[in-house]
Amino acid sequence: MSRPGWAADAFALLEKDFRAELRTRVAMSAVGVFAFAALLLIALAMATLKDARSAPLLKLPDPVSLDLLSRLSHPAWDPISKLGLLWVLLCFSAFAGLSHSFLHEEESGTTTALRLTMRSGSVFAGKYLFNLILLVLVALIITPVYMVLTGMESGSPLVFLCVMVCGCVGLSAVATIVAALAAKAHSSGALYGAIGLPLLVVFLLMLLNAGSALYAPEPGLIATVRAVGGLLSYGILILAVSALTFQFVWEE
Amino acid sequence: MATSSRQIDSQTTRAATGVPGLWWKSATVIIIAYVIYGAFFIAGGAVNFAGNGNIGRIIFFHVPVAVLSSVVYFVGAVYAFHYLTRHPDMETDAKSAAAMELGFMFCILATVTGSVFAAAQWGSYWNWDPRETSIVIMLLLYAAYLLLRGATGEDPVRRARLSAVYALVALVPGLFLIWVMPRLPALQSLHPPDTIIRMDRTSGTYKMVLYPSFLGFTMLFIWLFQMRLRCYHLCARRSREL
Repeated sequence: MSRPGWAADAFALLEKDFRAELRTRVAMSAVGVFAFAALLLIALAMATLKDARSAPLLKLPDPVSLDLLSRLSHPAWDPISKLGLLWVLLCFSAFAGLSHSFLHEEESGTTTALRLTMRSGSVFAGKYLFNLILLVLVALIITPVYMVLTGMESGSPLVFLCVMVCGCVGLSAVATIVAALAAKAHSSGALYGAIGLPLLVVFLLMLLNAGSALYAPEPGLIATVRAVGGLLSYGILILAVSALTFQFVWEE
Repeated sequence: MATSSRQIDSQTTRAATGVPGLWWKSATVIIIAYVIYGAFFIAGGAVNFAGNGNIGRIIFFHVPVAVLSSVVYFVGAVYAFHYLTRHPDMETDAKSAAAMELGFMFCILATVTGSVFAAAQWGSYWNWDPRETSIVIMLLLYAAYLLLRGATGEDPVRRARLSAVYALVALVPGLFLIWVMPRLPALQSLHPPDTIIRMDRTSGTYKMVLYPSFLGFTMLFIWLFQMRLRCYHLCARRSREL
C-alpha cells in the first residue's frame, strides 16, 4: 500500500486536531476567553479616558465645546494606534491558546506515533493550518466588536482585509514554530511568551507601517502595495524559515 | 559525540601549549588604547553636537559596538546553520552560542552608550527612534535565544538543535531590523543615515580614530570569542571528568 501524500497527511492531522478541539475546546476557550477579557479591559480603559477628557468640557456652554465633545466621544487615539492595539490583543490571544498545539502531543504521548507515520513537513503544515484557521475565526469575531467599541475605521475595506489576512499568516507561523520549540524544551508557558514575543515586535511594527498606508488621506497604489507587501513578506519569510527548520525540531 | 569530544580535546591541548595569536592580540590592545587616546586628544569636537561637540566623542565607541551587535548575530546564525546542515557537533554549537553571548553583551553596551548620547544630545535617555527601537528588539532576540538555551535542560544535542532553529527563525526579524525598518517612510530617525559611509561628512581627524575603532572592536570580538570558546571546551572536559 502506498503512503498517503504530503498534503493528505497534513489534512489528516488538521482533521484530528479539529476533532480533538471540538471534544475538549481547550484552545478555542483559552483564545476566546482571553480575547474577550482583554477586549473588556481595553473598553474599560477607553471609557475612563473618555470620561476624564470630556468632564471639563461639560461645564463650557460654548457651542465649540460640543464639537470638541463629539470628537472626544471616542478616545483621541489615531486609527493606526487602534490597529496596533487590536493586533496586540490578537497576538496575546493567539499566544494564550495556540501554545498547546505541540505540548498536547507531548503530554498525551502521540508525538512518537506522529513521527513514525508522518513527514515533518506534513506535521508542520497540519499544525500551521489549524492555528491559522483558529486565529482567523477569532479575528473574525473580535475585530468587529473591537471596531464598534473603539470607533476604529477600516479605511479601504480591501486593504484592511489584506492587512488582516497577512497578519494572520505571519502570526500563525510564529505561533506554530514557537509552540514546537517550547514543547520540545519541556518548558512552561512562560517560555512560550518569552521567546515568541520578541519575534512579534517587528511584525507589529510592520503592521503599523501598513496601517499608515491604510489610513493615509490619499494613499497611492504603490505606497499601499509596498506597505502591505512588507507585512506579507515578513509573514512569508517567517513561514518559510519555520517550515524549513521545523524538521530539526521534530526529528530527534 | 566521540568525534566532537576528540576535537574539543585537541583544541584545548593546542591552546594550552603556546600563546597562539600573540601578535594580533597585542595589536588589539594597542589599537584600542589608540582609540581611547584618539577619541579625547586627536579628534576635535563634533560640529552641531551638544557640549561643544564633546558628546560626539562617544561615537567612537557607540557606533562600532552597535554595528558589531548586529553583525555578531549573523555570525551566530551562520554557525547555527552549519550546525543544522553540515557539522552537527558540539564545537559548532559552542561557536554559535559564544557569538550570541558576545552579541548580547555588545547590544547592552550599544544601548547604554546610545542612551547616554541621547540624553545629552536629544534631551531624553529614550526617544523611540527607529534605531533605538531596533537595538532594543535585537537585545530581546539575544535574550530569548539565551533563555531558550538555558531552559532546554541537560541534553546538549536537544539544546543545540532548538537554539540553532531559534537563531535562524529570529534571523528574519534581525534582517528586517537592520535593512527594512530604518528605511520605512513612516518612521523618521534622529540618527543621520550616511555620516559613516559618505567620505565628506566627517573630518580627517574623525576618520583617523573612527576607522581604527571599527578594526579594534572587531579584533576584540574575535579575541573574546576565542576566550569564550576555550571556556566551553574547559567546561566540556570538566563535565566529562566528573
